[in-house]
Amino acid sequence: MALVRTENLSKVYNPDTVPVHALRDVSVTIEPGEFTSIVGPSGSGKTTLLNMIGGLDKPSSGKVFINGTDITGMKDSKLIDFRLRNIGFVFQHYNLIPVFTARENISFIMLLQNRDKKEMLSRADELLDKVGLGDRKDARPKEMSGGQQQRVAVARALASEPKFILADEPTANLDSSSAMNLLDIMSRMNKEQNVTFVFSTHDQRVIDRARRVITMVDGAVDSDERRENGNDNEKE
Amino acid sequence: MKTLITIAWRNIWRHPARSGVLLAAVVVGLWAGVVTVGTVNGLMQQRVDYLIDSEIAHAQIHHPEFLAEGYSWLFIPDHEGILDWLDADPRVTAWSARTMTDGMLQSPIKTSGVRIRGIDIQQETGTTDFHENMVDGEYLDSDVRNAVIVGRSLASDHNLRIGNRLVLVFEDVNNELTSGSFNIVGFFESASTEFDDRNVYVRSGDFSRYLADELIVHEIAMRFSEPEMAATVVGDINSAFSGVEAQTWRELSPELNVLVELGDVMLYVITMIIMMALAFGILNTMLMALFERMREIGMLLSIGMSKARVFSMILLESVILTLSGALTGIILAWLSVLYLAENGINLEQFAAGVAELGWDHIIYPIISFPEYAGIVVLVIVITLLSSVYPAIKAIRINPLEAARDA
Repeated sequence: MALVRTENLSKVYNPDTVPVHALRDVSVTIEPGEFTSIVGPSGSGKTTLLNMIGGLDKPSSGKVFINGTDITGMKDSKLIDFRLRNIGFVFQHYNLIPVFTARENISFIMLLQNRDKKEMLSRADELLDKVGLGDRKDARPKEMSGGQQQRVAVARALASEPKFILADEPTANLDSSSAMNLLDIMSRMNKEQNVTFVFSTHDQRVIDRARRVITMVDGAVDSDERRENGNDNEKE
Repeated sequence: MKTLITIAWRNIWRHPARSGVLLAAVVVGLWAGVVTVGTVNGLMQQRVDYLIDSEIAHAQIHHPEFLAEGYSWLFIPDHEGILDWLDADPRVTAWSARTMTDGMLQSPIKTSGVRIRGIDIQQETGTTDFHENMVDGEYLDSDVRNAVIVGRSLASDHNLRIGNRLVLVFEDVNNELTSGSFNIVGFFESASTEFDDRNVYVRSGDFSRYLADELIVHEIAMRFSEPEMAATVVGDINSAFSGVEAQTWRELSPELNVLVELGDVMLYVITMIIMMALAFGILNTMLMALFERMREIGMLLSIGMSKARVFSMILLESVILTLSGALTGIILAWLSVLYLAENGINLEQFAAGVAELGWDHIIYPIISFPEYAGIVVLVIVITLLSSVYPAIKAIRINPLEAARDA
């Protein structure tokens, strides 16, 4: 069964005044373990598509299935719980809780899942080690660089053990070396733990590392290219 | 819950200045509110105590028409029978039989309308502490014949000195205009200038001689072992004796009742003003905090924090912030009231003005536990009510805010 499947997904903003077609009949399928990048110029609909897949926005028509479950008609409260248990999010602006430390930011999402406290803390520490921030456990977001914050955000997304992770322009605010470092971590997680990543980007460095590149133009899928060695370019 | 409290607490201190200002406003508002409530209570209680202790006592007996008419022939029939009854009742701790009527005070320079109060010194001293109001000269226990004491303000109006004579003109029990010459032995000054201007005191024995052939009594003031007994004892007297009317201090001084009620209204208004200021303060602070955190709350909703939890988080922030301020304010107010109840608030600067109104110039604030509890409950309710709107706004934030560009 496909992990993510969209069926003739369309989104029209301001349908009654000045209609803006953000998505037109988009049907894509994402399988477990993919490392997929959605690319395209600004306004091409890549973020809208990502928001639809993440259940953050509702389509005007069409359907989104996650692991076979149709999320398009789900009530808000059910959808929030669905996201908590199935989808990890990484945002362009990191969006960590500023009053929490790195460790607390990661534990928080597990707390929302009502997990055991001891398990939460050990998993948070383990994830911080994996993203190379084992020594910054007690740092608050403002004490960390953008790259470090985004790595905490990736750890947070992984902490809830989601079916897949959606990352909206994850490297847009990072310098080159931080961006590469983040990509290394993401592709390692993908290879070693089979974590599925779907990210929107127009950063060529990210596109080069993807194993599948879906290109969007004017709200529609323009091309869907699969590559054999996309994320094997990790720097050793 | 513990994490929600932690996150709420840390969010509060994200902007120490802003939260500090609200906290200070709550502390000062609560402190001022409680002290004001206590002061108004103290003023009212003082007035009630003063009137009971110095003039009215707990209850009085009159001829049913005497209070309205004030004529000397409206005296209490068979006052001795009543006094015997009072002596036999253990609830009655003291009484004072007064002979009184309305009349005129004539001095060489002018004439004033006054109530002439004839008292028995021993009975009066046991029933009221009016004698404590003496400021100059002797009390009525003087050896001087036909002694009279007058209010200092009235004396100064008439340019009267101790040792001067004045003439009191009144009607006797036969409706005949009578007058007597009285010698000033002393001046009194009660808390009310108005009372001082309209009352003079003589001995009931001296005064009765002018009014009738025997000792007559127009008013019996009584004190009971417990003030709350007043209504019961008054009821018993009214059923035991006909031709007289006994009344409690509340019935005798309806203006005092009105004043006490007015005090309650004032307290209500003051409390409401403080609570409204509090409500708008919370609303303003929480909305500001919310608008700054749209993206963050959008993120929380995106990653799976339930709306109930977001709602509780916002509510907790204002509850924790306000309650810590309210608690501090109440403790400060409690300490202030404790100190002021002992030492009093001295209004000497305005004493002339407050005396006109019948107040003493030192006020001892009083505030009861239910009043403290009421204020705390009101603060909690107001806090919750004024936090509901920001909390509702928070859960309506679109999760997409998380992805929005700055």
